[in-house]
Amino acid sequence: MATKEIQDRSRTYLNPYAAGIWLGLVLLMTFYITGRGLGASGSIKTAVASTVNTIAPKHAQQSHYLSQFITADENPMNNWLTFEVIGVLAGALISGALAGRLKLKVEHSPNITSQRRLVFATLGGLAFGIGSQFGRGCTSGAALSGMASLAAGGFIAMLSIFGAAYAFAYFFRKNWI
Amino acid sequence: MKEELFVSGRAIPNIDPYLNIWHWSIPVYLFLGGLAAGLLFFAGLYSILGKEKEMPTTVKWATFLAPAALVIGLLCLFIDLKHKLYFWQLYTTIRLQSPMSWGAWVLMLITPLSFLWAGSYVRELKPSWKWTFPLLNKVEVWVAAHRKGLAWAMVILSVILGIYTGILLSAFNARPLWNTSLLGPLFLVSGLSSGVATILWMSKNHAERVLLSKIDLILIGIELFLIIHLFMGFLASNAVQVEAAQLFLGGEFTVFFWVFVVILGLVFPAILEILELRGIKIPVVIPALMVLIGGLIFRFIMVEAGQITRYLY
Repeated sequence: MATKEIQDRSRTYLNPYAAGIWLGLVLLMTFYITGRGLGASGSIKTAVASTVNTIAPKHAQQSHYLSQFITADENPMNNWLTFEVIGVLAGALISGALAGRLKLKVEHSPNITSQRRLVFATLGGLAFGIGSQFGRGCTSGAALSGMASLAAGGFIAMLSIFGAAYAFAYFFRKNWI
Repeated sequence: MKEELFVSGRAIPNIDPYLNIWHWSIPVYLFLGGLAAGLLFFAGLYSILGKEKEMPTTVKWATFLAPAALVIGLLCLFIDLKHKLYFWQLYTTIRLQSPMSWGAWVLMLITPLSFLWAGSYVRELKPSWKWTFPLLNKVEVWVAAHRKGLAWAMVILSVILGIYTGILLSAFNARPLWNTSLLGPLFLVSGLSSGVATILWMSKNHAERVLLSKIDLILIGIELFLIIHLFMGFLASNAVQVEAAQLFLGGEFTVFFWVFVVILGLVFPAILEILELRGIKIPVVIPALMVLIGGLIFRFIMVEAGQITRYLY
């Protein structure tokens, strides 16, 4: 494949509606193969739990929250979500390479600096991580997989996540437009 | 020295029912030994084929890592020894039927050879370099004059070194997981692949990288073939070997072996290398590092899992 052809494609993205259908099919396959849905925050949660359990086992066992994920006979990381996230990284790498977008860079609006983007992304990620634990799941685990199984909680999670995003977007709009 | 007397072959601490004597230093050594074997094998091979100009990283620059890998690896072996000051006794005898003896002697030959080989290219890398001792200038001239012969020696010795890292385990017939003749070729191929991945990472020459990627793909293919046959052999064998294989087929090493060694250490880097050969831009560090980490984890798993497989039930 010619390099120029790949470079030309580096700014073209998949149609969002087509991507949505693909994502739905991936979710369907996930239910079929693993018997449960997708998730993202769950793998971070188990990574945190096993890290704390390795460094400060006493603290992890005393903590009401962390102790839920620690069992004596099995490593909390030995969980389908951990491997799903490794697969997401591997798949993203191939996808980025095929689209000619595989380089280290910070994507941000021309109006702000890379540093500002990284700081806000980290803060946003932290807030979302904490929120996902109150909501018992993130966009993938609670909203997407939850709604696919027609759970009321899934619909509430979806409306809350996107509703809150609409409500707060006004205050942070300068970071993008 | 504290002496121990065993009156029974059963319930011996760290030996029965489970062996628990080889820790991190052995797999690290097996990895570094295999890596050095891979680096020196291809340096020797392409030197014999007269490709110094086309393959400069393979023949010259990557070999600088081999002496370091061998010295650190030997240090790991030394750390593992219980009676460190007796190590020289390995060199008072030659036992053709002992892999330990083969390994000791091969290392005794290939380590200085790797220093000579890399040392002979120092001045090419850094023209202003001056050897402190005049004797070294003579050595440099001698190495340059006998390069073909030394390359042959390096190719043969590196194959023995690479195979021996596997035979060292497979000669241990009391551990069913290790007791298979496929382990020697498997460790050799894995070591050659680690070597190629390292050269690939260092090389800046496009033609050299294309050739090395193709070689690595072949090696990865052979490795997958040997892994499949390793398990086919175990499952067709006696009950203890079937049980040893179960550690990887549903047992405690299943995830680590299939996810981190086979998928992320072999299949995924192979996919990336195929994409790169088709002209798609991929930072070479990613497949190279994955092959190296996969090779290291593979040795840790084989040493760890082998020790807990046993004949007595």
